[in-house]
Amino acid sequence: MHSPELLKGTLQTILLKVLKDHGKMYGYEITQRVKELSDSRLLLTEGALYPSLHRLEAEGLLKTETVMMGKRVRKYYTLTTSGRSLAKDRVEELVDFIKTMSNVLQVKLA
Amino acid sequence: MTQLTSDHIDYIIKDLNYRGIVADGVQDELIDHVCAAVEDEMNHNIRFIDAYHHVLKSFGHTAGLRETQKEILETENKTTRLMLKNYFTIAFRNLKKQRFYTLINILGLAIGIASCLVILLYVTHEMSYDKHHTDADRIYRINCEIKFGDNHLKLAVAPAPLADAMRTDFPEVEHAARFWSDGSMLIKRADQNIKETEVIYADSSVFNVFTIPFVQGNPKQVLQDPYTMVISQKAAAKYFPNENPIGQTLIVENKDNYKITGVYEDMPVTGHFHFDMMLALVSTDYNKDPNWLSNNFSTYIKLRPGADYKALEAKFPKTIDTYAGPQAKQALGSDFTMEKFRASGNKLEWTLMPLTDIHLHSDLTAELGINSNIAYVYLFGAIALFILAIACINFMNLSTARSSNRAKEVGVRKVMGSLRSHLVRQFLTESILLSVFSFFVALAVAWMVLPSFNLLAGKDLFLPFDKGIFWGGLAAGALVVGLLAGLYPSFFLSAFRPVNVLKGNLSLGMKSGLIRSSLVVFQFSISIILIIGTISVNRQLGFIQNTKIGFNKDQVIVIKDAYGMGDQVQSFKDEVLKDNRILSGTISGFLPVSGTNRNDNTHWPEGTQPTEENMVALQCWRVDYDYIKTLGMKIKIGREFSNEFPSDSGAVILNEAAQKIFGFTTDPIGKKISTFSGDRSGVIDREHPKSFPVIGIVENFHFESLKQNITPLALFLDKSIGLVSFRFQAKDSQEVIATIEKNWKALAPGMPFNYSFLDEDFGRMYAAEQRLGKIFFIFAGLAIIIACLGLFALTAFTAEQRTKEIGIRKVLGASVSSIVVLLSKEFGKLIFIAFIIAAPLAWYGVDWWLKNYTYKAEIGVMVYLLAGVFAFVIAWLTMGYQSVRAASSDPVKSLRSE
Repeated sequence: MHSPELLKGTLQTILLKVLKDHGKMYGYEITQRVKELSDSRLLLTEGALYPSLHRLEAEGLLKTETVMMGKRVRKYYTLTTSGRSLAKDRVEELVDFIKTMSNVLQVKLA
Repeated sequence: MTQLTSDHIDYIIKDLNYRGIVADGVQDELIDHVCAAVEDEMNHNIRFIDAYHHVLKSFGHTAGLRETQKEILETENKTTRLMLKNYFTIAFRNLKKQRFYTLINILGLAIGIASCLVILLYVTHEMSYDKHHTDADRIYRINCEIKFGDNHLKLAVAPAPLADAMRTDFPEVEHAARFWSDGSMLIKRADQNIKETEVIYADSSVFNVFTIPFVQGNPKQVLQDPYTMVISQKAAAKYFPNENPIGQTLIVENKDNYKITGVYEDMPVTGHFHFDMMLALVSTDYNKDPNWLSNNFSTYIKLRPGADYKALEAKFPKTIDTYAGPQAKQALGSDFTMEKFRASGNKLEWTLMPLTDIHLHSDLTAELGINSNIAYVYLFGAIALFILAIACINFMNLSTARSSNRAKEVGVRKVMGSLRSHLVRQFLTESILLSVFSFFVALAVAWMVLPSFNLLAGKDLFLPFDKGIFWGGLAAGALVVGLLAGLYPSFFLSAFRPVNVLKGNLSLGMKSGLIRSSLVVFQFSISIILIIGTISVNRQLGFIQNTKIGFNKDQVIVIKDAYGMGDQVQSFKDEVLKDNRILSGTISGFLPVSGTNRNDNTHWPEGTQPTEENMVALQCWRVDYDYIKTLGMKIKIGREFSNEFPSDSGAVILNEAAQKIFGFTTDPIGKKISTFSGDRSGVIDREHPKSFPVIGIVENFHFESLKQNITPLALFLDKSIGLVSFRFQAKDSQEVIATIEKNWKALAPGMPFNYSFLDEDFGRMYAAEQRLGKIFFIFAGLAIIIACLGLFALTAFTAEQRTKEIGIRKVLGASVSSIVVLLSKEFGKLIFIAFIIAAPLAWYGVDWWLKNYTYKAEIGVMVYLLAGVFAFVIAWLTMGYQSVRAASSDPVKSLRSE
């Protein structure tokens, strides 16, 4: 398990990238997807996930769509055009950051 | 894949609700999340209830769930878009709830902004003059100032040879060009003469100095040959409709044929000259006039980039010594030197005036057109700001006065965790919203009134809807006005302490009124100043109209351009006089209204040597026998010119001012005045002065605007056939005109018949004052209307606040009138204070304006009192309605609930 502190700065990037790769997703689905991709080493807490999603939505990077499922209402998130271009930038930025970190910390990445 | 049953889902929804997950937009999402997670767990063969608790644990139980909900809500609230939406909704609701006050605010602000907008258009128009010339910042006009004895001339013209000297002597001068005006001219294509006022003689180099785009012809080549001319598109359309004017000929003054070599675009109105026709200056003899002492040419220079015009100006005195010095010596005697000339307080000076300053800063003799005055620009600008300020103050006053109604709202908001900044933002949103709305109304109002304003101001302004900067400016203006008007109320309102407000012991409204009172005082001070200004300007105008001007301006018709008739003028006069409705007539180009001929010449009492001390600059008017009789001047001593004395052709009649300055105090008749004999080219013969005996003294009469003193004037019996004036009997002016026109047509076929009435010409000298008076009147009216709108609302509010008090007073026996007095007393006091403040300021302003006039109306204390009383009455009427309504209401109604 990675520390949530480390996750903090990269959460938005992860959300954007996951949504970019999978298109339409709902909140729980996102947590499961991230868990799967990280071999259960990254666990998104609901307390971090939903505020982030709502902020991205308010900034116009995500759009939502609700589907009635009997008594439940499911809210799907997708990227908007500006969200898509931002996702690309953010990922590049993070890759760059990882490279820098590897230099600073004097470690070789596999 | 396990699916939760309906019961399970109900259980989850209930439980989560119980744990406090209730917010819209959060609840559904979390329920779905929990359900999905529980389903997942149940896939691993875990019981529903265990799976659910496991999932809850991952959220951090109740506390964690609530924390998540709170974070989502906070994120949403921090989002500006949502918050703005909230502000707007509440602002709208508030404005709608208080319809009456919103209406008054919007009305006042819209009127204020519309006036501001119109005045702003006017000011930018005034400031934009002559900016259309490329390199306008490098173009200068040469002005000439002469002070010699009693003469003091400030001229917009310079000597003929100066332009050439500029070019050859000063390397920093790139181009120099001259205009020479010969007044209006008669122009014809075939046989019908048209009087053209915008005709000028010009050097070919004017196109190097100024930017005058050509439609046909090459500006680099035109006006170089004698008897060529260029005309504007307007003139081309007038004389050669649907024809090519190039190569055609126009006849100037019935004699010279000028060939058209170019057509230029009509000159923009925002220029200090707009000629319809430009004739080649090389066609005239004056072109090569070598005289450095006579000034007739509007001379412009364009400096090279980077040249300093002040440095150039500093070199001029030496140039004057070189060129004008010798000629002055020739005229004034061999002991003349420029040093002595200057030492005795005289002056001959050339100065440079930047082109873009001319329209607003130049009021010299011999301007190419009528210029405006920067003082008016400042004045109107100030009035616009004042009106806007009054409107903004209305807004502030109403918002703060009505604060008690919103005190509870502020208290509750603060208790709920609102920060002060939130409240400030809320109130600012309201004021900006109001301001934006007012701007739209103002735009419509301005659009509607602009045509009338144009008529009044003699302008052709329009709203530049197609310009981005206009809309940008409007948006910025709306924001700034909204902020200005909303700043004080928002800080005032948001400062309430919730404890006090909610306890109900903060009695706001009327008591926190010091600032509000000062603002009302400010509004009314300005209104009173504007009222006093209006009355004063109109007083002065009335004074001008009614003052004893020394001649009779009524019932005189002036026939123009009589010189076109040549020698037939006399027979024309005789023919017209045969009609018995015409009482008398006179032929003279010199009339006592500005715009007619003037001729200035130096004279001194006979028998003395002409020196700088005793030479008098004398207006010398050439008139005929019937002049004094026709214009109704009064002979004070002696007699007027008469046929019976053949020697009168060499005699002179002086006005009182001339009598005094020549020192002919006792028995002036028979005394003589002398002048240099000489010709127009400026060659002066010192040895043979000509002398004239005085045969009469005429009472002083005003022949220029009352801004000026009556200067010495002499009447000579001589030919001057520019104008013919007739005095006629009071009735039938239309028939008189018809008779005169019939005679004119008979004797001057093909000549335009132009006439005016002398009293109208006289009134025209004061067009600027009349305009000022009207504009003052309108804006003073607007200011007071806006101020009263505010007062109206304030009184309405006070009455509303004091309903119960009034009810109790009435029950205890107060009369309606005593309650009306009670309600209006407070504001009455404020208006009195406003009057005390406004009176000295207005006095100062009026005094400053009247300094322009040598002859001014007495603006007595009465005017000030009148303005004060007027403001008070208007205000009282405004308040009166509300007060009476409040006072006459039934106390039972207001007290029933107690």
